[in-house]
Amino acid sequence: MAERATRRDFLRVAGLVLTGAAIAPRLRAQEPAQGAANIEMPQTAYKAVSLPKKVGAKPLVTQLERDALERGLKCACPCKLDVFTCRTTDFQCGISPAMHSDVVRLIDGGYSADEIVAAFTTVYGERVLMAPVKEGFNIAGYVVPFITLGIGGTMLVALLRRWKRETETMTPAVVSRSVLPISGTMPEATDDEMRRLEAAVRGRAER
Amino acid sequence: MILLGELSLWVSLLMGIWMTTVSFAGGATRRGELVQSGERATYATLFFVIMASVGLWTALFTHDFSLKFVASYTSANLPKVYLFSAFWAGQSGSLLFWCLILAIFSAIAVVANRAKNRELMPWVTGTLGVILVFFIGTILFAANPYDRMEWVPPDGRGMNPQLQNPGMAIHPPMLYLGWVGTAIPFAFAIGALVTRRLDTEWLAAIRRWSLISWFFLTIGLVLGMWWAYVELGWGGYWAWDPVENAPLTSWLCQTAFLHSIMIQEKRGMLRKWNVTLVVAAFLLSILGTFLTRSGVIESVHSFAQSAIGNYFSTFLIAIFVVTTILVMTRLKDMEAKAQLESMVSREAAFLYNNLVLVGIAFSVLWGTLFPIISEAVRGTKITVGPPFFNSVNVPLGLGLLALTGIGPLIAWRRASVENVRRQFVFPVLCGLVTGGVLIALGMRAFYPIVAYILVGFVVGTIAQEFFKGTRARMRMYAENVVLASLRLVGNNRRRYGGYIVHLGVAMIFAAFAGFAFKKEFDVSLKTGEVFRATDPFGHAWTFTSQGVSEFKRLNRYVTAVALSVTRDGKPMPVLSSEKRQHVDSNDQPTFEPSTEVGLYETAMQDVYMVFSGMIGPDQAEVRLAFNPLVWWVWYGGMVMAIGGLIVMWPQAEKKRQGGYVTVLTPGAEAPVPATAGAQ
Repeated sequence: MAERATRRDFLRVAGLVLTGAAIAPRLRAQEPAQGAANIEMPQTAYKAVSLPKKVGAKPLVTQLERDALERGLKCACPCKLDVFTCRTTDFQCGISPAMHSDVVRLIDGGYSADEIVAAFTTVYGERVLMAPVKEGFNIAGYVVPFITLGIGGTMLVALLRRWKRETETMTPAVVSRSVLPISGTMPEATDDEMRRLEAAVRGRAER
Repeated sequence: MILLGELSLWVSLLMGIWMTTVSFAGGATRRGELVQSGERATYATLFFVIMASVGLWTALFTHDFSLKFVASYTSANLPKVYLFSAFWAGQSGSLLFWCLILAIFSAIAVVANRAKNRELMPWVTGTLGVILVFFIGTILFAANPYDRMEWVPPDGRGMNPQLQNPGMAIHPPMLYLGWVGTAIPFAFAIGALVTRRLDTEWLAAIRRWSLISWFFLTIGLVLGMWWAYVELGWGGYWAWDPVENAPLTSWLCQTAFLHSIMIQEKRGMLRKWNVTLVVAAFLLSILGTFLTRSGVIESVHSFAQSAIGNYFSTFLIAIFVVTTILVMTRLKDMEAKAQLESMVSREAAFLYNNLVLVGIAFSVLWGTLFPIISEAVRGTKITVGPPFFNSVNVPLGLGLLALTGIGPLIAWRRASVENVRRQFVFPVLCGLVTGGVLIALGMRAFYPIVAYILVGFVVGTIAQEFFKGTRARMRMYAENVVLASLRLVGNNRRRYGGYIVHLGVAMIFAAFAGFAFKKEFDVSLKTGEVFRATDPFGHAWTFTSQGVSEFKRLNRYVTAVALSVTRDGKPMPVLSSEKRQHVDSNDQPTFEPSTEVGLYETAMQDVYMVFSGMIGPDQAEVRLAFNPLVWWVWYGGMVMAIGGLIVMWPQAEKKRQGGYVTVLTPGAEAPVPATAGAQ
């Protein structure tokens, strides 16, 4: 017997359609990709990051810390790599060495790692960071997967409890063939499982 | 032949439209001749798509540079093997390749169901027709590989050097086979929804298709990692690029489905959930294709941007809406008929596993789309790179690894305390001993230690399951250990094949954790200069520059640097890395220079060398890295694939009847034992 769609179903679908319609043009309006690293190398992508040298400047960042800092900065070429990886593996890229030079100059100018990252962010925008800073809306990026999983987990546990409660009010009655495994894809069970199952059905202690 | 191919593409569109129309009409009116006509149209569509493909291959092999596609992706001096793989080197060819695989799969699905699932088949054929028409239409109207040049160049641009790699010749077909494979279960899901035959019948029809899709996606993903590792030269194998993430999300949904399908088969539960997973896997494959071809998201793999993004987004929304309507209007038909007896049972464990798998799929998709979401909300472009994905997915991945070990240890229906204690002792001990040994050896990093404890636990679980099963057979049938273990797997392919897949997963997780101990060095060496380094295992290595050489190969100029290597004073194979400048047949440079890495692989670690460039007439800049346990990624992938093959391999049908499932109904007086199947 065919089920008729309810008004609620209709509203749900209408909501989905409207959401889709609202999102689609936005997706299309995004700036297109600049292409793969080995196809185009936009030389204008580089922007100098410079700050005046601090008085009595002494480097506050060691070489290891500098490398770590550069791993957190995205090269402005289309390679999607961080500055450190790009400059040490691709000599054709003129942008990562230039960004590296800026980092070195800022270190020599007495700036800390945080100040250097801030300077790069000011010039290039947040895109220069390999991962979004954990503040403002970006926090959603980090927590939404866990919140969703938490909600999903809570719903799942609630569902399992409900199923269990419903099962406890029932009594084993008939062996139904309507929900049997389909022919040819019978799930296998070891003898041990079958024995445990039989014992459970007969109400004996397992084993 | 080329003209014939072009015409065939148009005819295949007409055939696809016919296939769709008469199949749906046949399904709606229950007229057998229409259904049959739709199925024959499937074969006709396949024929014309093959002709169109042969036409394009002919153009590629005969260097017909009057075609834009041929001129853009090949040159006269391109090796023949890459002329073949050039078919999927560009957008329009790769879409035609999608169509070719889909047409082949559709025809196989129709042939395989000549005598079964007859009520579903018109809708299955019609749905596959819709997808085929969409792809053929997109090719013809937005990305036609038969588009002509206004003038015929003397030579083509050549193939991107990074695609001139054996891995890249195999990786895309594998990925496409996996991705396209999701279309068949989707079509059956639509058929089941339309006809409201949502019992287990349609699952029987798609289980093997889902496994095939999963199998090829697994191989495709691992091959992609291998290609990235040996070809891109940045020293890693997974960068969370959108085009990697897209098949991964499909793979995760397929994996979740392959677990939850067992619950529906055994207990009749999760009907809604299984339909949702099948639909999600297909939608994600279309979304992935859209993301990587529309230019919406920056990707190193992005094909040149074109109008096809609009086609894909429209198709995606249309499918989503139609499927949602179908699912919502059939919710009552999908009510579960069986119930749960314990929160600690295999069924519950599978559901937790599904939660984590789908949770990871969501987090990967969320991270991939977050730049778009952020720009839409804040108007600011951001980058979501590996640090983000790792921080979110590493804990989830470890949770999944734990469940990989826990699931097989818990009994179906209800696990008693005794069962849990007996089953868990050995695997938990394995995990703790592994962790203890590693801590004693000096390992302190938190996530790797947790990962290795869990790997030990999972391997312990698998070993215990094989040991118990083999021992049982040896006792019951007086078989020797080899025969007993072979028959154990052979007679329970699905179960023990699954354990082999789990073993592959554990190997890959061990490799991921090992990569955290990577050590790398940037070195400038003149001829004869020596660099000394200690690897993560404490061995002393020396690298002595043998100098830089320059030479020409078939379609490229090569600059290479070679290092002679010793480990603890013993000579090892020479490492050599190259910079290649590819040229066309007129000796003109085609692409930017590419890098070929130098690699010395062992089971414990890879020595990885990248020639960064020359910084003086005789001074080469190289990056050297010790990458622990990378070998285990490739072999873990192979083990997963072998496990998948064992699960897929056809097994003689068992005639077990009854038993195994008990439907519980209120008010019944006495329990009736399920004896027929419990033998």
